[in-house]
Amino acid sequence: MSERIWLASYPKSGNTWLRILIGCLSLKDGEALDINKLPERGGIASARAPFDNLTLIDSGLLTHDEIDRLRPRIYEELGQSLEEEVPEGPQEPVQVRFVKVHDAYTLTSLGEPLLAGKRGAKAAILIVRDPRDVVPSLANHNGTTIDEAIEFMNNADAGFCNKPGRQHSQLRQQLPSWSGHIASWLDQRDIPIHLLRYEDLKRDTAGALLAVLDFAGVPATPADIERSTLIATFEALKKQERNTGFSEWHDRSGNGRLFFRRGDVGGWRDELTTEQILRIESAHGPMMKRLGYELSTSSELVLIG
Amino acid sequence: MLSYRLAGLSVESEIALPGLIDSVADCGPPEVRIRCGAVPEKLDDAGAFGPTWAMQGGRFLLRIPDIARFLLTDGREIAFETENGTSPEDAAVFLVGTVFGILLHQRRKIVLHASAVRVGDKAVLFCGRSGAGKSTMAAALDRRGYSLLNDDVCAIGLDRAGAPIAHSDGRRLKLWAQAIEHLELADRRGSPVRSRLQKFYVEPQDSFAHALPLGAVYGLRETRAPLQDGIERPNVVDSALVIRRSAYRPRMVDAMQQNSPYFQSAANIAARAGVFYLTRPLDFAKIPDVIGRLEAHWREIGLLEAIR
Repeated sequence: MSERIWLASYPKSGNTWLRILIGCLSLKDGEALDINKLPERGGIASARAPFDNLTLIDSGLLTHDEIDRLRPRIYEELGQSLEEEVPEGPQEPVQVRFVKVHDAYTLTSLGEPLLAGKRGAKAAILIVRDPRDVVPSLANHNGTTIDEAIEFMNNADAGFCNKPGRQHSQLRQQLPSWSGHIASWLDQRDIPIHLLRYEDLKRDTAGALLAVLDFAGVPATPADIERSTLIATFEALKKQERNTGFSEWHDRSGNGRLFFRRGDVGGWRDELTTEQILRIESAHGPMMKRLGYELSTSSELVLIG
Repeated sequence: MLSYRLAGLSVESEIALPGLIDSVADCGPPEVRIRCGAVPEKLDDAGAFGPTWAMQGGRFLLRIPDIARFLLTDGREIAFETENGTSPEDAAVFLVGTVFGILLHQRRKIVLHASAVRVGDKAVLFCGRSGAGKSTMAAALDRRGYSLLNDDVCAIGLDRAGAPIAHSDGRRLKLWAQAIEHLELADRRGSPVRSRLQKFYVEPQDSFAHALPLGAVYGLRETRAPLQDGIERPNVVDSALVIRRSAYRPRMVDAMQQNSPYFQSAANIAARAGVFYLTRPLDFAKIPDVIGRLEAHWREIGLLEAIR
């Protein structure tokens, strides 16, 4: 029996980095990090295989909405047992299992939480990042222009793996705009949330990690945390990806796009035009303020925009 | 009443089973009967259950919410009742896939999540989870002239000498619109597998509906770091795991306490046919390269004659 905790975020907000930092806690002394053999393998909530295996139903024969109506049953079942989600290979016994999720916190058409409320996980770490930094990273991830990424983040109907006429590797993940996604998590009242800003994780990695573990009820010594932050620096992840590739990422464009890109705080200042900044701040100003991100444009400009 | 041969079994059905090439006139007394009728909402005293199913002795109940409930009894009978006004035709696609797969488990058969084509006089299987590219691989090979044996589900048996055989049943392929477009199969496209999906039955160029000895089993993997493109033979333990993980469905193997037969079968398949990993990019444009690599491998392991 284990407890599950969601690592929830809009894509490109530091979810994988945090997961690797947590995973590195279980490395033994002298053991090096291999980003393709991560110790923490809780997987992602939208994985297709556990759905098919637990329901016995071929998800490829169901519509996105039909799948969503069954998904709460999957998380209830996984919430009770570790058996089905562990992919392969030897596993260390763990008390808390962190599971990545990009889905917004939505209700199914039957009105129940897609992620099964507290029966699916006892809590969630919500990682957020300045949307102006998410935009260039998302454009790189999706293989689109900056403007298309802004449009995606403003679109209430956006999502991953949501196209008809093909089988996506994962189940549909609804991303109803950047603001809508974060609001869905912040405003739900089913499970407690620990809010973590990417910028704070970057600024004080050890402190942010300690707070996450404290919230999750995972014991860790300061030495463990320090070792983890020294091993899993963003630069180290970038370097490993350049050398060996990253198993969780496949650039189908063949243009050599990397998963770990800049990881900067404030990189948007040299990547976005004033007009692009205005569009993001105009669409997401209220949520940015709620999260403590300072707008670069005046409130009048935002209103005009 | 319609008659079919499915996974080596004679089947009598009150409704047409989609995706099977033909109903056959004479395939002997039915070993399995499929009928429409009342199906309970739940099974009392279930010994094993999951989010959509329950098992109690020889009875197995599967519910696909808002679509249909299926009650399987002793591997001999399937009763089904549709829900919420779903037409029997729209529910029937589940009968030949998931439901028949469970029935084969009830009959203690080894059932793999695999598509298969004929190479020489052998069956070559492609295993993998949903979305791994099994049907696409089979469709591309069918187009290249290798008859289609199975799509999605493949029952494994033994011949008199104890060698593994694949029970093929001459199914139509089920392909998404995207695959049909990329493989240029629009002229073979049939009806949608369900009215709400852009996934269609596709008539194979050629199909073969008899048992064939296994020639090779490939576990499909996408090329992702640190994996490289290619065909490799895993060690004995990993070979067994490829087969075990390719069970249709692994959860059923546990629920029906079939782990031991699966490992025995895996050892048999690995020894007498060969289990391999086929690692390739999930990219339609690369399919001709992959077929070239497979054909070279088939010459190497003696399934095709070597080029002189």
